[in-house]
Amino acid sequence: MSFRKKLLLAFALTVLLSVASIAWFVSMVTRRAFDRSDAERTQALVAQLRREFNRRGGDIARRVEAASGSEPATRMALSLGRGSIDYSVFLSEAKSVADNQQLEFLEFVDSQGIILSSAQSPAKFGYKTTSINLALPIPKDPFLAREELPEGSSLGLFAARTIKAGEKNLYAVGGKRLDREFLSSLDLPPGLRVLLYQNLASGFSTQFFVDPSGTLQHPELLVPLIQAAQQPGAEPTEVVHWSADAVDDESLHAIPLRGQDSELLSVLLVGNSRRPYIELERRIRSAAFMIGGIAILLAILLSSWVASRVTRPVERLATAARQVTAGDWNTKVEVVSEDELGELAKAFNRMTSELLAQKEHLVQTERVAAWRELARRLAHELKNPLFPLQLTVENMLRAREQRPDLFDEIFQESASTLLAEISNLKIILNRFSEFSKMPEPRFQRVDLNDLVEGVIRLFQAQLQVPAQSKIICNTELDQGLPAIGGDPDLLHKAVLNLVLNAMDAMPEGGTLTLRTCEGNSEVRLDVSDTGHGLTPEECERLFTPYYTSKQHGTGLGLAIVQSVVSDHGGRIRVESAPGKGTTFKIDLPLNMDKLSDPVRVEPVATGRT
Amino acid sequence: MKLFGWPLRAVSSLLLLLQSGALSAATRPQYGGTLRVAIRSAPATLDPSEGADENSPESRNLSRLMFDTLVTLSDSGKVQPALAVTWQEQSGGQRWQLSLRRGVKFDDGSPLTPDIVASSLRTANLGWNINSSDESVLIELPQPNPALLAELALERNSIVKRSSGTLHGTGPFHVTDWRAGQELSLVATEDYWDGRAYLDSIQIDVVNPRDQMLSLELGKANLVNILPEQARKAVMEGRRISTSPPLELMALVFSRDRQSVDDGKLRESLALAIDRISIKNVLLQGEGEPAGTILPRWLNGYDFLFSKEADLARARQQVSELRSRPSWTLGYDSGDPLARLVAERIVLNARDAGLNLQLAAGMSDVRLVRIILPSLDPWVSLMTVAKIAGLPAPKHAGDGPEDLYRAENQLLRTDRMIPLFHLPLNYGLSPAVRNWVQRQDGIWDLRNLWIASETR
Repeated sequence: MSFRKKLLLAFALTVLLSVASIAWFVSMVTRRAFDRSDAERTQALVAQLRREFNRRGGDIARRVEAASGSEPATRMALSLGRGSIDYSVFLSEAKSVADNQQLEFLEFVDSQGIILSSAQSPAKFGYKTTSINLALPIPKDPFLAREELPEGSSLGLFAARTIKAGEKNLYAVGGKRLDREFLSSLDLPPGLRVLLYQNLASGFSTQFFVDPSGTLQHPELLVPLIQAAQQPGAEPTEVVHWSADAVDDESLHAIPLRGQDSELLSVLLVGNSRRPYIELERRIRSAAFMIGGIAILLAILLSSWVASRVTRPVERLATAARQVTAGDWNTKVEVVSEDELGELAKAFNRMTSELLAQKEHLVQTERVAAWRELARRLAHELKNPLFPLQLTVENMLRAREQRPDLFDEIFQESASTLLAEISNLKIILNRFSEFSKMPEPRFQRVDLNDLVEGVIRLFQAQLQVPAQSKIICNTELDQGLPAIGGDPDLLHKAVLNLVLNAMDAMPEGGTLTLRTCEGNSEVRLDVSDTGHGLTPEECERLFTPYYTSKQHGTGLGLAIVQSVVSDHGGRIRVESAPGKGTTFKIDLPLNMDKLSDPVRVEPVATGRT
Repeated sequence: MKLFGWPLRAVSSLLLLLQSGALSAATRPQYGGTLRVAIRSAPATLDPSEGADENSPESRNLSRLMFDTLVTLSDSGKVQPALAVTWQEQSGGQRWQLSLRRGVKFDDGSPLTPDIVASSLRTANLGWNINSSDESVLIELPQPNPALLAELALERNSIVKRSSGTLHGTGPFHVTDWRAGQELSLVATEDYWDGRAYLDSIQIDVVNPRDQMLSLELGKANLVNILPEQARKAVMEGRRISTSPPLELMALVFSRDRQSVDDGKLRESLALAIDRISIKNVLLQGEGEPAGTILPRWLNGYDFLFSKEADLARARQQVSELRSRPSWTLGYDSGDPLARLVAERIVLNARDAGLNLQLAAGMSDVRLVRIILPSLDPWVSLMTVAKIAGLPAPKHAGDGPEDLYRAENQLLRTDRMIPLFHLPLNYGLSPAVRNWVQRQDGIWDLRNLWIASETR
């Protein structure tokens, strides 16, 4: 993974974690705050409803009080007091008084609970009332009661007042229905609503629900809450999920409403919509997502900017390093800042300058060393033939002086010796001259396998004489080896030098292996021996001109090989270890594009070294 | 309060009328004026042959004002000539020939002809074979019917000339304006065969039953309908009330025949549980009479033979002996407050006996009905009630009281009907109304009615 991507990932993760943490924290705080607010609001509403109930009850009580003081009530009381009740006279009186007082229920009953006149059920005269139990103390405060009507039971909020009728009492029991209209008239804050479940029969029935807002959907979802509220002393609260969307959730608080004899007559459900909270939560979440998205985008931009500020100089440094590796020691990096990266660039530049200076110094030193070595070798090589030359000339001078009769013979011998040594000198000089004047390769189509076999043939006679040579020659030639473009003469010379070196490295005998194979747009030639091997230091200096590990020799053979390989665009390296032999590996490109003559020329076995 | 039973009230009303008549004897009947009438409900049609309003006193009275029948019944039930002057019964009552009165004209001036009479009767009676001749019509019935003349006296057999969708009658008044459901205007027929009425016109408006007394008090109406529960109060307030004999039957009618013996016992238990006295004294304000039979005592004479007393103990015992107690629903006319009160009370009485009875709207097992007896002929009334209540038609075996008793008893023993009360028809009159006559069958006789001039 690149530095830029790592940086981007780090920024993005940091942003995401931060935003998520903040969103979660805010959401949690909001939820708690809402729950607290919800509970307080519900409690406030419950208290408000209780006050409203009490207010309504008080209003009903006042109306019942007024009804009990009405003229028809007085007449009824008087009749009751006299002991003569004519139901026909009072048939419509309760209805009339109830209409005046805007009561939906009104009954005038005697001390036995017998109805004298009923507004809600005029035909019930003479029957016992069901809206109040006169066996219990007359409630002073409004109370809830179930009224049995011809069309069924109905719940109402009632009040009762006593009207003195001599020694007897007449009671006025009036009230209003607890129905949709009653609930609709309650002044509720927005988002809150009330439902009424009338406990008119055992078990649960959806038809007992009163919903001022309209038809209640999925009333069966309220069954657990209703059943919980039916337990003594319970006022449960529950969140009801009206649909799969959480925004429709509602927190419902159940308030049991009991009658005069503590019978559970209804359950008032106070609903507080959780929509505001859910919507707020979703807004927070949306905001978090949006902020997170923006933050990630900013993180991308920032990371890109930071990365570019950081990685570009680093890339420049890396590029410069690669250039240095490729040999351009004079590479400089632009210093664009004064921070650590700027210091790094300056240090790099100083490094390359130092390296360059050191390289030049090294080159000069090596050049000097090579010159010294060359001078040494020259002095050594030249000294050998020059000494005999000197002796021979001195011999000749002595002979002329001391034995003039043998001078001609001695002169002839001395002349031959002089000519031979001069020839040696010429050979040595030719070799130096030859190395200094290595020709440019003339590229032709060359079959490397054939070339290798040609070189082997030159030494075949020698290798076939076991007394003279204990060296075994193996060839592992790739028969599918493609032809390459190269100078057959130079290549032949290089291979020849490698074979000679290998043979020289195995004076006690061994195995000489020549191997060819095809590479990636190149061919490989390995020349291996099982000689003494070379130390790592010797490997390093192996290709230095005039360097040789042998006692004699110009030290130019491997230099020539390296020069040929280099002129062909190839590479040569050595693998060796003391006691484990040496392998020279040559990689040569195909160079087909460098062919000057498409006609193949067979390599010529020259035997020269 | 029981002093205000209907007979005494009727007598008192009559005395008041006579008194008022005597007082105004010095003031001769005057032609002119408009009688303003407030009715409870508007008739769906003015065509008497469309018997949907057969049970409506308003429709019957309106038919009498616009149309005539071939014959009428006197207050004693005797057949009187009207558009027919003579008649002959043949084949034991299966063929009847009636001769028509001459010189009678419709309100459009066209003469009354046998063809028109025959056509009108055919419209009202699809099963009759009616032919016309020179000045008479011949009616051939599928079965002998000795009471045909009483049937011909019914309003649905009024003689109507139907021409291009317009109805024409030979009655004392004819229509000048009719806005269905709202008002009806009639004017006196100048050349009415029985003499022009004193009134010039009659204006009939539909008024809420609860507001009719108010209309009378405010002078907006001269003649209003008074509900039974309003009658006592009106009398106590000194209003001028006209009360008919008990002409209206209030009863419970079961929708199905008796299903089993237990079902019959349940029905009997319900009849025993109903406290008619309390209902009459309180809900009916003392009006009407508890009924044990379909026809009132003044029509059948043997009502006293049928028990009307409540016996709650016996009802409870009977119910307790039954294996099952099905739930019944009791229906009533939702537009009739009195019916609702009575139905509520019956439900309470039934529950006292252990019966499961509940009020219901729409279809019900039992229904509280109010049926106006259409004729002074007991057979015609009995058959009409049976027809309206959906009961099997009684067989008219003879004209004797025993035959009537058997037929009525047979109907009652089907346990399809529980008679509750016989109620009178009450009308309130303004002081300006003179010569008010309400016949025994409840029909207004306005021929001699006139409006005092100071109140026109």
